[in-house]
Amino acid sequence: MLNQMNLNSASIKRDWSDHAIWWEQKQRWLLRTSWTLEKYGIHADARLLYMPQHKPLKLGLPNGITLRLHACFSSPVFQTLMGICRMLNIRHPEELSLLRPLEEKKKKKDKDSAEEIYDLTEIFSPLKSSFAVSRPCLYNGMPAHFADSPKMEAIYKMLSVTQPPPAPEVVAKQYRPASVVDKAHINGRWLDSSRCLIQQGIRENDRLWLRFKYFAFYDIEPKYDVVRLTQLYEQARWSILLEDIDCTEEEMMLFGALQYHISKVSQSEPKLLSSSAAMDDLESALQSLEVKMDGESSSASEIFVVKLKHVTICFRPKKLTLKGYKQYWFKFQDTSISYYKSKEESIGEPIQQINLRGCEVAPDVNMAAQKFLIRLLIPAPEGMNEVYLRCENEQQYAQWMAACRLASKGKSLADSSFQSEIKSIHSFLAMQRTNPSSHGNTPANDESINTHSLVSPRYHKKYKTKQLTPRILDAYQNVAQLSLTDALTRFLQIWQALPDFGLSYIVVRFKGSRKDEVLGIAPNRLIRIDLGVGDVVKTWRYNNMKQWNVNWDIRQMAIEFEGNVNIAFSCVTADCKIVHEFIGGYIFMSTRSREKSDTLNEELFHKLTGGHEAL
Amino acid sequence: MTVVVFLVLFLLSSISRGRYPSGGADVHESCNLTRRSEDFEISEKMDDIDAMFSDLLGEMDLLTQSLEQETAAPTSLPTTTTTTTNNNKEVNFSIFTDLNESLHELEDTDLDALMADLVADLNATEEKLAAEIQGLKVPSPPPPDLPPPPKGLSAHHPASPASPAGSTGSNVSTPASSSASSPLPPPPPQSTKPTKEEIEAQMKADKIKLALEKLKEAKVKKLVVKVLLNDGSSKTLMVDERQNVREVLDNLFEKTHCDCNVDWSLCETNPELQLERAFEDHENLVEPLLAWTRDSENKILFKERGEKYEVFKNPQTFYLWKKDNKALKAIKDKDKEILIKENFCGTSAIVPDLEAVLHLKEDGKKSWRQRLFQLRASGIYYVPKGKTKSSRDLVCFLQFDNVNVYYGKDFKGKYKAPTDFCFLLKHPQIQKDSQYIKYLCCDDACTMNLWVTGIRIAKYGASLYENFKTAEKRAAVSSVWTNRSAPSCSNPSTPSPTIKAKSPSHANGHAQKPQPGPTSTDVGGVPPPPPPPPPPPLPSTSTFPPSPPEPVFAPPPPPLAAKSSPKPAFPQQHPPPNFPLPPPPAMDFPPPPPLPPIADHSEAPPDFLPPPPPSFGSLSPLPPLPGKSLPPPPPPCFRRMDQSLPPPPPDPGFLPPPPPQPMFTGAGAPPPPPPPPPPPPPAPTAAPSAAVRPSGSVRKMPPPPPKRTTPTLPAGGGGGGGGEGGGGDFMSELMKAMQKKRSVP
Repeated sequence: MLNQMNLNSASIKRDWSDHAIWWEQKQRWLLRTSWTLEKYGIHADARLLYMPQHKPLKLGLPNGITLRLHACFSSPVFQTLMGICRMLNIRHPEELSLLRPLEEKKKKKDKDSAEEIYDLTEIFSPLKSSFAVSRPCLYNGMPAHFADSPKMEAIYKMLSVTQPPPAPEVVAKQYRPASVVDKAHINGRWLDSSRCLIQQGIRENDRLWLRFKYFAFYDIEPKYDVVRLTQLYEQARWSILLEDIDCTEEEMMLFGALQYHISKVSQSEPKLLSSSAAMDDLESALQSLEVKMDGESSSASEIFVVKLKHVTICFRPKKLTLKGYKQYWFKFQDTSISYYKSKEESIGEPIQQINLRGCEVAPDVNMAAQKFLIRLLIPAPEGMNEVYLRCENEQQYAQWMAACRLASKGKSLADSSFQSEIKSIHSFLAMQRTNPSSHGNTPANDESINTHSLVSPRYHKKYKTKQLTPRILDAYQNVAQLSLTDALTRFLQIWQALPDFGLSYIVVRFKGSRKDEVLGIAPNRLIRIDLGVGDVVKTWRYNNMKQWNVNWDIRQMAIEFEGNVNIAFSCVTADCKIVHEFIGGYIFMSTRSREKSDTLNEELFHKLTGGHEAL
Repeated sequence: MTVVVFLVLFLLSSISRGRYPSGGADVHESCNLTRRSEDFEISEKMDDIDAMFSDLLGEMDLLTQSLEQETAAPTSLPTTTTTTTNNNKEVNFSIFTDLNESLHELEDTDLDALMADLVADLNATEEKLAAEIQGLKVPSPPPPDLPPPPKGLSAHHPASPASPAGSTGSNVSTPASSSASSPLPPPPPQSTKPTKEEIEAQMKADKIKLALEKLKEAKVKKLVVKVLLNDGSSKTLMVDERQNVREVLDNLFEKTHCDCNVDWSLCETNPELQLERAFEDHENLVEPLLAWTRDSENKILFKERGEKYEVFKNPQTFYLWKKDNKALKAIKDKDKEILIKENFCGTSAIVPDLEAVLHLKEDGKKSWRQRLFQLRASGIYYVPKGKTKSSRDLVCFLQFDNVNVYYGKDFKGKYKAPTDFCFLLKHPQIQKDSQYIKYLCCDDACTMNLWVTGIRIAKYGASLYENFKTAEKRAAVSSVWTNRSAPSCSNPSTPSPTIKAKSPSHANGHAQKPQPGPTSTDVGGVPPPPPPPPPPPLPSTSTFPPSPPEPVFAPPPPPLAAKSSPKPAFPQQHPPPNFPLPPPPAMDFPPPPPLPPIADHSEAPPDFLPPPPPSFGSLSPLPPLPGKSLPPPPPPCFRRMDQSLPPPPPDPGFLPPPPPQPMFTGAGAPPPPPPPPPPPPPAPTAAPSAAVRPSGSVRKMPPPPPKRTTPTLPAGGGGGGGGEGGGGDFMSELMKAMQKKRSVP
């Protein structure tokens, strides 16, 4: 009897409770201690290993950090994953999975060894206890096991705060899938959820990646999902930077602006951890107080006039050349600018008053030439009027630019965001200034981020920093007011709105077809993509699916849809178990609903994804 | 004084706030925008006030003149109505910039409605002020608010504040949002004031401040908007800056008795650019209207547009457009739901990925060029020549932050477009042809709808779905009400609209349109319908029953009637507007309902007659009776009206207001009452009309008295004897006052 063996070994003074017997030959854990060896079919010549079920594992997180932690090697990966997520305080572990990392070139290996690894092995066999609640109670904003020591707290902070933008070279060096087929290969690396780690050849201290696998993110609640949201953002960010998912230039600029904003805000807002209810209340109370005070002060300064002299203005009605910049005395009031011949006349009627509400504001700045132009496109019944304001210096420019931007959104100068707007304009100007000297090297301080680190390498070649910065700044003005959480959410929303979002590719060969094609697996549908042209040939939605079968012998999948549509294919770049799990997984994801509360229906998951293993 | 002053301020400010900084100098401009902003800034300095008043007086003159003009041509009004109705093309104005103009152009009914709204507003403001000012008057602190001018009119003053107190109603729906909403306690009795000491004085100073603040709050832009209906008739309403389109639609539902389905939309048309766009329900109405130019011929239409929420009815045509038609038609409701859920209930709405070759009008030329366009959440892109369709190669054609999407009409003719299925994108402020407008042309209507809807989804996202859900709810409620609103007067909702038939013009309107729409038009004019009630299609029958009274009534009969539920049928069958003869309403089901009412009538009448105004509660029962009887007796109403309304000739422009008042007086005042409550059973036809009005007033009284009531009050107080005189007196007083003012300075 197995438990007898256990008992014997227990005489040695040590905690053996985590140990179990691994039958290497049959790739099988002997976990049922009440079974006899005979029942397990073990003969005298069998070689059994008595070893711990939990072993350290190096886990690469979406944000690039590597953790070393104890993972369960004896239970199905799905359960192992649940344990890991519990430890890291990530809700909804079903959306994630473990991925075998890419083999790295020898050269890189050296560098890797130098890489810092954050050790979480102190947390042993994590909390199998009453931790089923999906909203774990937090201590000081983090799970209790992280609150033990400052070191652990620091690690938790790494998990829950976004990383600063990577240096452009780092991005450039990373592996970037160049084609759909490359992407498909990555999907061949997912571990099988229904088998345990050791059965899949993972050994102690091996490296695995933790990634979001199913792009159906359920019930994201920033209050509880700090780590989840952060890691999701990181994964999204990297998928953009590495062009794992395609986007247009405009979208890239917006992503860049959001990254800039997020990194800025998360550095100035380290209190993110404080998600305890009391703190929230306090914070919101404080915020509302602030707002109130803002409101009061604004009413006091309703006619707040920016006293900037000598802004020069030039109207450029189409055919006129840029010659005539003329000096006027300008006043900014509410959302309008008025100008006068001189300061003395500013008491009377202005020459003209222009309401900037709804106008487009664009910078035209050249630091080297000390050119500070604000280009305004002001809507009028006849079309758009183009107006240039020329400022004398950086200071003036920043103020007026900020004022114009606020006004275009219908906010007056009294708005609380005025100062921060000025600040951000300054910092962008600074970026432009420092660029020539630092030659695009990673900037040391956070004040000036190299904008190249915010976009994918493609744009490193396409634009110089000087050109890139204004474009990102341009996009930035639309997001500058967002809070950290809002900015993260916004980033994810835009990411999710990309046409190719959520597609996992597998190269397959359809029955009766002679060439390889690509199967795209999305949260709600399957698509068939022609490899040659890249066009979507056909789409099938899960809700029309009647059943799917896997023929494990010939490794073929057959799917039947309503209306007598049947497809069958064999998988080229991935095991058909992976495809099977993808489809079953997405169907499982769609069964989640609020009513069923927070408990994870593990059994159903295995039923849908397990295949023959589940039986 | 308050009444008058405010009226004046109100109107004047609207004129002066228009686009003419100089103040109604060129009154006869043909602008169509009336700006009503209550933002008269009351500075604490008396000088300013004086200056302001002299200004105001000047404008008052103009106003008076315009009124006189109106008076001069009272008879012509009906005709105008007809013309408007018949050829809406001739009616270019949808919004009035200029009060004079608007008064001229408005039809009687419109004026009615408008005045009702206005008066309601005024009352609210007035009450508020009355409360404040009365407090202020006695105390030493200088009453800055409305100093000198009003004095002449002060006679009015006591009456108005006092009476309103009783009626301080919250006029729910309509424009008078801010001012109306703040419920002011009845003005403190004057007697107390003298006794007050300096401390009190201070308090009053505080109150002044408060009043000023409230006035500031009231700085809300309002527009008088003329909405064209399908049948060519129109409705005029006042729209508040803060109202969104949904609220305006609800308002219109009440005024028109349409079926309230989700397709009803407010559309903006621009004849110069030949474009049309349905406002989204969450949009503010005022803002886009402010972008119209002075001489704009733009119009606002109220009509059903199937494509408005088509995406929620048939999401598959948008999200699965690549599939063949057969598959789409076979789609099940369940699948539709899933599609909607997938695309609108996630973290953000998903934009259908559209891709098509569209024709793009080249800047400044009449030539069109084909490009392969793609729609993404971030904007419209096209594939440059010789490049692939991959995202990185796409060129951004346009992003949606600053533009709206419009349908173009007849661009084939105007711009030589390849087809007539065109849409365009422009900044809402642009009103004329410009290089900043992007014109796109699709091969077929289907593609066009696909794109326009796709762009709307990209631009508005999940709020579209929210709008749809709200609209759907609204439609459901109204249909429920329709069904329920059977003869049994049980429905509290009874929208006052039923009260129409005020003036001859109404009759015309009614006659013209068989559909409920027209009726409602007229109706709308009369009362600012209480917001809450769902508009039952049957104007007369269902509407009348005042909710409170019900209990009094014999409950049994009504229910029965209700069960028979002739209602649903009614709405459609009867053209309520015409006030079909008594028989028609009864038609199939009539028998049951009438009987019960009759019984009620017999009981009710007594109460009604004796206790005039005070016993509203008891009165309330009465209304139901009339309501039931209502259907038949429209004609009588008119006669009565005419008779009772002597003043029409004096100032036609203002006529509208008087009607309500007379009615009220009739009901409330001991002398007139007898006629209205007409004997129930015998002369049901006659009774209804008369009854209707009283009922209207009565209704209001019980719960929160709507604006209408207030107007009546002043009239009753001032006019005393003749209810009819109310309106006329009021106006003449006003004029007198103005003259006095003028002479004083």
